[in-house]
Amino acid sequence: MTDEIRMLPDRYHQAIEHWRQHNFPDYPKLAEVWPKFFPRDEPFCLCAKLATDMPAEIEIGDDIGKPKARIPKELSTEAAQHLVGQIHAQASTEFGSIQQHQMTLFRAQEPQDEAWALRVMAEELRHGYQMIHLLTSVDWSPVTETKPEDMVEEILSMQTGSHVLAAFNLEFDSFLDNVVFAAFIDRVGKYQLTMQKISAYDPYASSMPPMLREEAFHLAAGVIPLRRWVEHAARGDGYIDMSSIQKAVQKWFGRGLEMFGDERGGQTNVKFGLKDLSNREAQDLYVQECAKMLDDLSVRYVRARFPDRTREEADEIFARVRAGETVDGLQPEDLLRLPDRRFFRRRGEPAFQMVGTHGETFTDVEKYIAHVLTNLPEAYRASVDVKHWAEMQREVHVGTKTLKEAMASMPRLARQAGGCPCGKSVRWVVDANGRPAEDVRLKT
Amino acid sequence: MADVRIRPVTELDIESICRIDERITGKYRPEVWEDRVVYFIRRDPDSSQVAEVAGKVVGFMLGEVRGGEFGMEEPTGWLEFFGVDPAARERGIGRGLTDALLAGFKKRGAHVARTMVRTQDAEIGKFVAAMGFTPAPVSALEKRLA
Repeated sequence: MTDEIRMLPDRYHQAIEHWRQHNFPDYPKLAEVWPKFFPRDEPFCLCAKLATDMPAEIEIGDDIGKPKARIPKELSTEAAQHLVGQIHAQASTEFGSIQQHQMTLFRAQEPQDEAWALRVMAEELRHGYQMIHLLTSVDWSPVTETKPEDMVEEILSMQTGSHVLAAFNLEFDSFLDNVVFAAFIDRVGKYQLTMQKISAYDPYASSMPPMLREEAFHLAAGVIPLRRWVEHAARGDGYIDMSSIQKAVQKWFGRGLEMFGDERGGQTNVKFGLKDLSNREAQDLYVQECAKMLDDLSVRYVRARFPDRTREEADEIFARVRAGETVDGLQPEDLLRLPDRRFFRRRGEPAFQMVGTHGETFTDVEKYIAHVLTNLPEAYRASVDVKHWAEMQREVHVGTKTLKEAMASMPRLARQAGGCPCGKSVRWVVDANGRPAEDVRLKT
Repeated sequence: MADVRIRPVTELDIESICRIDERITGKYRPEVWEDRVVYFIRRDPDSSQVAEVAGKVVGFMLGEVRGGEFGMEEPTGWLEFFGVDPAARERGIGRGLTDALLAGFKKRGAHVARTMVRTQDAEIGKFVAAMGFTPAPVSALEKRLA
């Protein structure tokens, strides 16, 4: 099992390296900490990797059993358009998450936490590189009029606030966000990559196994710090309490659910052989997995809070408290739990329904907004994103905005798309002579 | 084995592995298993395996392919940690885990798997022998440091 390594043409490779300098300035630290934290591991490689042992036939959908497409024009036009949209969105998430992690990376309290986050960021950069490779290594002209360099330009120009999916437009407020994001949002990434592993487009399917192997560590980089923090919280000697973790979960969980797409959709991807699960099917599995993650964290908390109790006694305490009892001072709200999947939603089937964390429904919009605010992290409550959501919630409630309009509305954040900062609007992608690709036109 | 599912280990298996370890050793060692599981997930998440019965993890086997150690240049699949819940033994779970682990090693280019067993761990020695491991032409040596 060896992956085939591919490098981008120099101008695209340099464009990504240049992007990295602006958006991931801490990258050089990774090489410094690598020998200490990842001593036996292969050095990081900014390259595309393709698995070489993938099935040659389409695995699901209308064309099951037929040979997989090697180039876009071997797919139907509609399937290829879905695919290019998927790759574009996937690329946006990879680059977007680096921009988010970078905001609060310096707040990591443990050197190991920082090293792990650096590795996660570098591997997300590689995943973005992989997507750019998919977009630039073959002819997409039968599918889109946009030239490859313009697709790359657009992706590299995105900032927090202009990415495709809402989860990548939220600012991080503390290192707790880095960790909860890895545990919840990277977990959606794992589902997407797993579903795309069966893609009818062979280069995309072959891109997934190497990315999934790296993604497995990203999830651990979320869960392990959380496991350590809940232990400290139980002993009362940490900086992060259970309530802060719970609120961070409530900030991210809904955005994670929305990354699957509308609960009622996804069948077209299955029909085209691009994914093997509909949106709701995948989302259901994700919810189960997140619930298990929080239960395990809560068990860890109970064990640390009652270190003299046996496993069986601790299990009994956990079960009773989860059922609503207070046992030896441990209350249900001390444990972590998933909010109702309809809580604080702005896309998909339950968008703008007024459902609380425990599934309770509200009829008074101001009471609902107050409920949501109480259940979100304090720093996030004051954000443009939350303010925008509250405005949309009010407008949907009184009927001045339709649900469709509210779902399509994005907050205006300070940072919006733009060109390379050092060139003040000069394009990211330049040719070997340092000129913008294709021509000397500047973005205005 | 009909109701047993073998699959690669994930970060969400740590609590279950701690539970199995605790049943075997009587010790709750979450930090130890967090470090170990993350190590294998980081290096080769496809090789290490867990066994599930009715959705509950009842066994695990952790290992990886390395080469160049002790002068043995060939890529070697190292079986390093394993455990089966005492209540789930005698159901072929250890064999299922071993088969999956060794298949992963082979896929990663290893033509040999190795492990080490303390002489006093007769039960473990019996298990690995039943899995087809035989004494290797290497000696395990040690020197106590004062």
